[in-house]
Amino acid sequence: MAGNRNILEIRELVVQAGDKRIIDGLNLTIPCGEVHALLGPNGSGKTTLMMTIMGFSNYKIIGGRIVFKGRDITNLEINERARMGIAIARQRPPTIDGVRLRNIMAYQIDRGIGDAERIAAYVKKAGMEEFLDRSVNAGLSGGEIKRSELLQLLMMSPEFSMLDEPDSGVDSGALRDVRELINSLFTLDDNHPAKRKAGLIITHSGHIIDHMSLDKAHIMHRGRIGCSGHPNLMMDRISRFGYEGCDRCLGEVE
Amino acid sequence: MLKDNGFRETGGEKTEGSSILEREDVTELARSGVLMDSEERSGTVVFRNHTPVCFDAGNGDFELLPVTEALKRYDWVREKYYFYAVEEDMDEMTLRCARQENPVGFFLRVREGGRVTLPFQAAMYMTEENVEQIVHNIVVVEKGASLEIITGCLTRQDILRGSHLAVEEHYVGEGARLVTTMVHSWGPEVIVHPRTGTLVAEGGEYESRYISLKPAKEVVINPMVYLNGRGAVARDLTIVLSTEGTTVDTGGVITLIGKDTSAELLQRGVCIGGVLKQGGLLVGKERCRAHVDCAGMLLDESGAGSIVSVPGLEASHPDARMSHEASLGKISPEQVEYLMSRGMAEAEAITMLIRGFLGVDAAGLGEDLDRQIARIVDIAGHGEA
Ligand SMILES: Nc1ncnc2c1ncn2[C@@H]1O[C@H](COP(=O)(O)OP(=O)(O)O)[C@@H](O)[C@H]1O
Ligand SMILES: [Mg+2]
Repeated sequence: MAGNRNILEIRELVVQAGDKRIIDGLNLTIPCGEVHALLGPNGSGKTTLMMTIMGFSNYKIIGGRIVFKGRDITNLEINERARMGIAIARQRPPTIDGVRLRNIMAYQIDRGIGDAERIAAYVKKAGMEEFLDRSVNAGLSGGEIKRSELLQLLMMSPEFSMLDEPDSGVDSGALRDVRELINSLFTLDDNHPAKRKAGLIITHSGHIIDHMSLDKAHIMHRGRIGCSGHPNLMMDRISRFGYEGCDRCLGEVE
Repeated sequence: MLKDNGFRETGGEKTEGSSILEREDVTELARSGVLMDSEERSGTVVFRNHTPVCFDAGNGDFELLPVTEALKRYDWVREKYYFYAVEEDMDEMTLRCARQENPVGFFLRVREGGRVTLPFQAAMYMTEENVEQIVHNIVVVEKGASLEIITGCLTRQDILRGSHLAVEEHYVGEGARLVTTMVHSWGPEVIVHPRTGTLVAEGGEYESRYISLKPAKEVVINPMVYLNGRGAVARDLTIVLSTEGTTVDTGGVITLIGKDTSAELLQRGVCIGGVLKQGGLLVGKERCRAHVDCAGMLLDESGAGSIVSVPGLEASHPDARMSHEASLGKISPEQVEYLMSRGMAEAEAITMLIRGFLGVDAAGLGEDLDRQIARIVDIAGHGEA
């Protein structure tokens, strides 16, 4: 929508998975052209948030709304959201038996979503040639899964990429390759002269924060965004003190 | 039109297959992989009901004769290749086929060392109600030769009833290679009982793919392969769909007789109704390696459809290394959603998963099958509210 300054706006979101309320009154805004980090202890609901934004059915929205590019997508199907430009590189993707990475690649090319030459270059860059004819994510190591997921996003050129721990399980030698793939994902937005494509990245290590210029970081805690701030400063604090302070801090705010 | 005895001699000029067949027939045949007047085929045989309407040896490096003619011309055909890989008194069906005075069918021989690069194709096509088609085909691939055959067995789309009985004998010589792809596409009340037997000599290789996505009322398939020679190899892939009101029973027996033979028997079936039975028996009589794997996917939620999966092993030699595997399941919603997150609509995602499950990419039949599978998914989709 013209003149829309925020690519993503989430208001008072409440999400239930199983019979547990995992996200409870979450607010988050990501302006166009910005890439944010999502931090927070294990089990705080980071993955749940991304899966909910994508629209996976295990995550039931029982309150609030999600607005993407000015449109309320709270009740849209997953593929409609994907076609609007949302994509996710999952932390623990399922194995897709019998479906080969090559099938997904062909699908994106057929739909005109991806350009064959550019995609071939990405496959090479991701070092995934030998995996094209295997079932998607079958028998891959942790690092290979990350590259497979990132590659699938690159094939789609999404306007808004969500990366769920793209760097965990990746050995230090391969981190640089993963980072380069991520950087290709957030290249300049074709629709804007200066802004890059937007996104949200869940990470625990300082590596991504240190090497990518992220615009902002949020700490997720007890199903909400506890606080937001400068990515490097926040990461620095967390790496020294962990999330211990968050309980106290949030207690004071409430 | 061709005359009654209408066969052409081998090596003659091309008969114009499509001028004899109506345009709609040509389209129908293409659904089973039989492409008329295509540059992609080395030769073509089409039987319509009881009559051969195309018998074209193309420019293939092989000998093609009506089976009656081959029996007349060569004594050795009757001695070595006629009811040898399939036993004449195996059952009522084979007896009926043997009793025919002038059996309908073809004899195809690739001579020693001959390599036919393009696939040969054959169609058993029924265009009238209640036809009882009986055919007997014999394929001989001599020492060191190689051949690929695509066979389409089908009824025209408006035909409901009929019966198809085929005896197919394959002889794979020393170090020879034969690849067969058979696509079945039948009317809903048709009864289908093919009897296929294959003998493989030392170092020979036999690969067979059977695909049935438009099932008849009753299909019973139980091809027999005998790996007689040392180091002979067989690979057998069966891909079937069962729908409401059908019984599809696919088996297969591979007997490993020669030393160091190996075999793989794969069954892939999707049941959206009806009864799907999957079998597959490996018999190891020498030092050998063999694996049988049956996998079924049940997409019918009404409880009317069922799958029975029974892979079997039999060994009479201590060095026969054999294994079996069977699994039944349904389409996983998690996998569907994963593909939807890559932009696919639900039906597209399900199609891709069924394709993947059936392994049709591996069978390499391309777009026609794609369309058929898309149709299956449509049918399957009706089951879900
Ligand atoms: N499908 C589900 N059913 C029940 N509980 C779930 C489900 N998914 C996640 N949870 C629970 O929700 C909490 C948050 O999980 P998650 O979003 O994966 O956290 P994070 O990614 O921050 O580590 C955890 O306690 C987890 O066990
Ligand atoms: Mg997580």
